[in-house]
Amino acid sequence: MATTAANKVRRRTTLTQRQGDTIFSLLLILPTILVTTIFILVPVVDSVIQSFLDYKMKNIISGNPGTWNNFENYIKLFTNSKLGPAILQTFIFCVIVVVAQFILGMALALVLNSNIKCARFFRSIMMTPWCVPTVISALIWMWIFQPQYGLMRYIVSVLTFGQVTDLAMLNSPSTALLGIAIAALWKQVPLSTLLLLAGLQNVPGEIQEAATMDGANARVCFFRITLPYMKSVIKVVLSMAIIENFKQFPLIWTMTGGGPNNSTTTLAVLSYREAFVSNNLGSGAAVTTVWMLLMIVVVVVYNKLMGDNETS
Amino acid sequence: MKKQLKLTAAAVAAVMAFSLTACGGGTGSSGSSSQAAGTGTGETGTGEKVTIKFANYALLEDAYTEFWEGVKSGFEAENPDITIEWVTAPYADIVSTVTTMAGGGDKVDMIFGEGTWTSSLVDSGLVIPVTDVLSQDYLDQFYENSLEASTVDGEIYTLPMYMSPFILYYNTDILEKAGVESVPTTYDELLAACEKISGMTTEDGNTIYPFGQTTASVAISGSAINSMVYNFGGEVLTADGQLSIDNDGFKQTFEMLKLLDEKGYSPENCKLKDLRNLFALGQLAMYYDQSWGISGVENINPDIISVTASANPLAGGSGDGASLLSTQTLFYCDNGDANRAACAKLTEYLMSDEVLGDYLNNIVPAYPTLKTMSMPDNPALQGSTSSIDKAVAAPSVPAMNDLNLELCTLAQAVTVTGTDVDTAIEEFRTAANNIIG
Repeated sequence: MATTAANKVRRRTTLTQRQGDTIFSLLLILPTILVTTIFILVPVVDSVIQSFLDYKMKNIISGNPGTWNNFENYIKLFTNSKLGPAILQTFIFCVIVVVAQFILGMALALVLNSNIKCARFFRSIMMTPWCVPTVISALIWMWIFQPQYGLMRYIVSVLTFGQVTDLAMLNSPSTALLGIAIAALWKQVPLSTLLLLAGLQNVPGEIQEAATMDGANARVCFFRITLPYMKSVIKVVLSMAIIENFKQFPLIWTMTGGGPNNSTTTLAVLSYREAFVSNNLGSGAAVTTVWMLLMIVVVVVYNKLMGDNETS
Repeated sequence: MKKQLKLTAAAVAAVMAFSLTACGGGTGSSGSSSQAAGTGTGETGTGEKVTIKFANYALLEDAYTEFWEGVKSGFEAENPDITIEWVTAPYADIVSTVTTMAGGGDKVDMIFGEGTWTSSLVDSGLVIPVTDVLSQDYLDQFYENSLEASTVDGEIYTLPMYMSPFILYYNTDILEKAGVESVPTTYDELLAACEKISGMTTEDGNTIYPFGQTTASVAISGSAINSMVYNFGGEVLTADGQLSIDNDGFKQTFEMLKLLDEKGYSPENCKLKDLRNLFALGQLAMYYDQSWGISGVENINPDIISVTASANPLAGGSGDGASLLSTQTLFYCDNGDANRAACAKLTEYLMSDEVLGDYLNNIVPAYPTLKTMSMPDNPALQGSTSSIDKAVAAPSVPAMNDLNLELCTLAQAVTVTGTDVDTAIEEFRTAANNIIG
């Protein structure tokens, strides 16, 4: 009888403790929920709602809500022949920069992970571009690519023994996006290299040694051991690169303003022009909504391709 | 120990959650209290200090900082009951800064900006008619075309401080060496002069471009192209803001840009600052710019001024060389009677001969908008003084900046992309109709 009562008390205590733990957990995640709701969910939902409204700068200043405009923002967007090229340019830019960034970052990480002299010095100096603000990077590269008196024009002229004297990277619709991609790589490769280097240094040496003793060459070691062990780091590096370049704006706006002839007008530039140059916030929100949906698709596909983080 | 740790963690989480809520509430209340404070001091009119919030991008530009700081100290010394509080942001961000502030309930009192912003600021409901701040008698002292450029729907919404058409700057030394005896006055004469200059190089072997017209994707380039359309007697918009591009002058403008590009007479896709750099380095013989652009050239190479002169805009087609009038202006917002009265005082101080006259003669070469002010005696501007008579106050639409960017795209299509003029104009028509609506 006494044992049964004691068991009941213990069960009640256990139950209370579980409830307490639940409340405690909820308390701990409350700041995260609040931050996510206030700073992410509310603005996203607000932006999606605005995309269906006639919502301009005067609505913000007067405090009057926007008015429903029968999908006019979307109709205008899908009929003005700017959206398709902007999506294409966004994807081309993103793919070029992400792929080149990964290859260059990995190559540099491998070099710095080998026992070269002054590796620590190079690692420090290499981070400089990453510390430079994006707009300043854009201005630096604009000057380098300047077609009449830029550094690149001079270098190319010297290297080609005066055969090519009119290199105008940012002035040609076929090369302008590449010019911006080079500037983006200059700025972003250092961080990728650093992260990949950290990943490389965590690959267990004994497994590589064992594989080498079993006859695996360097290529096999790299693809069968190093890369799988670095999968989680690679996933982070690629995710960051995709997000950064899918939404790249200051570099493009500063260097070309979307030109020449709209050849560098990405979704970010199109959205800015609609919202803040035309002062049509509803129309800008429509671009942003399409942009967000595309980003979700990209992230889902990317996660599907990369699988989980566990190394096999 | 474990329990203590849990308690501490819970307390930290609670504090963070509470402070977030507090932050949210704080923003709203501080916004409203700031507005109330501004209105409060403004409306008392009992000798309390009035603060003018003055949005000014020029303060961040080295060449003008000293002048504007001098305006503040000089005005505050004369008016101890009025304080100027600067609101600064770079040129490209100043409009979004003031509109965002106004959206949060914190309106500035004055904005220093460009005449091309007028339609957009009026459409946003941020600015008030100038007649709410300054008397009609005072406004009667201004040149009519400068006020016309500041008018929307019959109301003057911005006070023009100084003005300039897009004038032709040229390097007298290059023209002389090329054997160009007189400065071109028409586009045909320009082509003949370009032919002579083409192929010349600087002493260190760099190409000298005969003529420069900005076409890069920035709104000011669109204004420069719009001005060139006026050179040819054409127009982009009708007086009531409708698209009007089926005129010879419009087409001839882009045919000329294409021809200049094909012959290699013009550097492609340049911003105005690129042209100023080239001109300063002696690599550009002639180019279109606003009068104040020459101070940028002088900053790069002070010696170039000795071989710099200006001429009236060129005439092309059936045009007579008219061009677009650009103005640097003051906008006003409504923060109560006391603030409006203080703004009027500041405006009159700023527009005085001692303050603005000195500025136009020594810092920013430009033409005055006040009839009482004498024309600047800057030698570089002497050749283009009469250009102001033919300068046109062009119609504008709220999305004028976007329309200007489309004009740049059109110019780029016929130059860097090589699209034929008719096709490019049709593409422009579609884009422009979408913008104007």
